Amino acid sequence: MPKVKPKRSNPVIDMTAMCDVSFLLLTFFILTAKFKPQSVVAVDVPTARSTVTPDNMVVIILNKEGKAFVSLKEKSTRYAMLEQLAEKYGEKYPMITDLSPNQKEFFALTDTWGTPVEDTKRVLSMDGVQFKEYQEKEMPGIPYDSLRNQLADWVQAARYATEGKIRIAIKADKNVNVEHVRQLIKRLTEKDIHRFLLITTLAGGASAESEEAKKEN
Amino acid sequence: MADIDTSASGAAGGKHSGGPRAKKMSTRVDLTPMVDLAFLLISFFMLTTTLNKPKAMELNMPKKVEDEELKQEVGDCQVLNILLDTLDQVWYYEGLKVAGLQKTTFAGDEGIRKVIMNMMKKVPKECPKVRKWEDKNGDKQKQENEFYMGDRDAIVLIKMLKGARYKNMVDILDEMDITDCKIYAIQDPDPIEVEAVMNGGVVKEFAKE
Repeated sequence: MPKVKPKRSNPVIDMTAMCDVSFLLLTFFILTAKFKPQSVVAVDVPTARSTVTPDNMVVIILNKEGKAFVSLKEKSTRYAMLEQLAEKYGEKYPMITDLSPNQKEFFALTDTWGTPVEDTKRVLSMDGVQFKEYQEKEMPGIPYDSLRNQLADWVQAARYATEGKIRIAIKADKNVNVEHVRQLIKRLTEKDIHRFLLITTLAGGASAESEEAKKEN
Repeated sequence: MADIDTSASGAAGGKHSGGPRAKKMSTRVDLTPMVDLAFLLISFFMLTTTLNKPKAMELNMPKKVEDEELKQEVGDCQVLNILLDTLDQVWYYEGLKVAGLQKTTFAGDEGIRKVIMNMMKKVPKECPKVRKWEDKNGDKQKQENEFYMGDRDAIVLIKMLKGARYKNMVDILDEMDITDCKIYAIQDPDPIEVEAVMNGGVVKEFAKE
């Protein structure tokens, strides 16, 4: 008897639908991904193993020289922070109470802020090129000494702007003198801020650490 | 037979039954490599976007405690002092008196981590028990039956000399987390301690090397 041959099915699958879906996903991811904003202040963050990933935070950047900058991710929060600073500390800083809408908009577009309050108006009146030059060359940082504790006011303004739903993070350069960090923390604890986040990166494992130890010996 | 096929492409025609037909090409394209590529790109974008999130470490500074009864007395035997100097070295001594400073590093399991671990094991065993308060019913009122004699825990005092690097501060806080040491404080170093570190021969030895 002749054997019944099983009907051979075509092994080719139509990939069109699959291709459609995958490219749809691809476009979605490309469009939703945000580019890392080019940071104006160069900070080499220390490594650590124990970490949490916070989402909503106001970042105090402390560069190698110990200059402090304030950085917020959301444009709307930055705008609100400036409004709050003018509202709550208007008596202390009369020079920022009468900023024009353009100047406020300019502030909201700036990712990292590092100008003493007295100088704010002048800096906000700069054009793009001037401002870029200013950022790269002479941005003096926000003062945080005991006499001019403006940084704490900025942080408080950021807390008002988000109704307290914000965490305070310190992003300091790993080579900065620890005195600056202590000073900064001291100024903030004076204003009843006790919980901080220290921004770190994941360690490259034990090998990197021991290598560094070797170098130091 | 004699006439010329005038249609643009043979494949599209096919009305001529007798003529030499052009070979019909399959319009199907194999999309598998395209899908491969797309998924490769997707995974790339997914991974890079999630890995870019900043990592952070918690640091809680103490509030001023007004209530004297909440303050626990600190025994001489439960304190470990850690001093960080400007040359990335770690100095440590036990007790409240500045004595017997020893030098170590952050390197791996043999450095300061071992010291902290030993201290945490030693203190509950060797130190006398202390009067503690536990808020059993959660009303924040101190009742007499809520006080008990409990084991002491190691207390680590972290003191950073002026000019120490911030990296070392993060390192030592990381060690606190790794060793699960709950009670630690960041303090200003004593002048005696600063001098002890300076006279510890560190600077001279370092210069010789």
